[in-house]
Amino acid sequence: MFGYVTADITNLTKEEKANYKAHYCGLCHVLKEKYGSAGTSLLSYDMTFLEMLLSDLTDSKETSGTERCITNPIKEHRYITTECTAYAADMQMMLAYYSALDDQADEGKGSSALKKTEPYMKELAEKYPRQDIVLRNELSMLADDQKRKIKDPELLSRHSGTFLGEVFVMDEKSFFRDDLWALGYGLGRFVYIMDAWCDRKKDARKGIFNPLPADASWDDVKEMLISAAADASAALERLPLDEHISILRNVLYSGIWLRGEHSKEKRR
Amino acid sequence: MTDPWSVLGLRPGASTDEVKKAYKTLAKKYHPDVAGNSPEAARRMQEINAAYDQIINNKASSDSYGYSSSYGYQEGSGEPIELSAAVSYINARRYKEAINALNSVPYEKRTARWYYLSSYAKYFIGDTAGASADIQEAIRRDPSNMQYRAFQSRISGQRQQYTAYTGTYGHPSRGLGGFCLSLCMMMTFFRFCFCWI
Repeated sequence: MFGYVTADITNLTKEEKANYKAHYCGLCHVLKEKYGSAGTSLLSYDMTFLEMLLSDLTDSKETSGTERCITNPIKEHRYITTECTAYAADMQMMLAYYSALDDQADEGKGSSALKKTEPYMKELAEKYPRQDIVLRNELSMLADDQKRKIKDPELLSRHSGTFLGEVFVMDEKSFFRDDLWALGYGLGRFVYIMDAWCDRKKDARKGIFNPLPADASWDDVKEMLISAAADASAALERLPLDEHISILRNVLYSGIWLRGEHSKEKRR
Repeated sequence: MTDPWSVLGLRPGASTDEVKKAYKTLAKKYHPDVAGNSPEAARRMQEINAAYDQIINNKASSDSYGYSSSYGYQEGSGEPIELSAAVSYINARRYKEAINALNSVPYEKRTARWYYLSSYAKYFIGDTAGASADIQEAIRRDPSNMQYRAFQSRISGQRQQYTAYTGTYGHPSRGLGGFCLSLCMMMTFFRFCFCWI
């Protein structure tokens, strides 16, 4: 389920690009510190979005540094971490673990992501019991719905929405708890539906369940996607964000559509 | 009670950006890390939160933070206990609890107002589809209620606002076709743009 919540970098300024990249590298840096190469291999833009959102909301103090890394061994690059980066890294591990479990149930393959994350799950579940229980429950319910072959993408997308909503709530006592939850909920629904659309041909080939009707058109799917994205954006606009707002907006209003882009005509 | 603008130190009608900036500046000042755990700072923070909420969510423009006036609810008005409980939960921004309270009302006893409150709570937990269905039912039952209609246009406005805003980025307005970029292509794309490999 990763890879959808990214910025449309052609619409970012040079400074914004550098800032976005530095936060991405910051998340990588912390993943490496906490989980070694198993962690860095799971690095995603999705959790970079969460980190930037939470850091902006909580006015989290930034620490920056420069380093060389395995993907860029020659040139030193800047990274930025905040008090929220560790949370985003932990959530990255939990989401990767649970989505690997889900894939295993779907396609019967034991993935490397599962092996990488499993050793840390006990500790993470103890540290984040609220997120853990919601992830576990929603994914079981989703698996159930899929087994019963319920062809209702909006209904099924609520499971992803619910667990991503929970993940977005870093601090349950935050005054903005509900807005963060709503933002995660909209995004989770969006990602589920977009994923179903992007995988529909592959699923049909492999005989894997897909919640979209066989004759689903892009226009139907687009309607559902817009409504999920509009819910997420309305929540984003209610939050007091300033530092990273243009990057966060770019993701929600443009970046999340990138993978579904390109014209229908091209396909035929 | 104090008006929300003056709590944030702003002139009435200041822009949303100004409201957000002012909120953050004040929130920093009264954060326990800075102000310590004084009850006075906590009280101020509560006031600031309430003022922010009131302005950003266009809530009860009347004198106090709270929804009693916007809902027209009065003590002793004979409203069913579940509905007044839901109003209290909404006042406390506990929307999920509000929905639970509402759901305990049997289906045949649900009124237009029940549907309105349900729509309101669903809207704030991000369930716009549920909120739209409920407000439509509220209007069907009580077509002359302007408050319900105003809320309905707020819900549908959200979608229009989104599509209008996406247009400014150029992408989605082009029709967002059906071809999915593979993850591999995405990686190449980002690598190219950032030149970091």
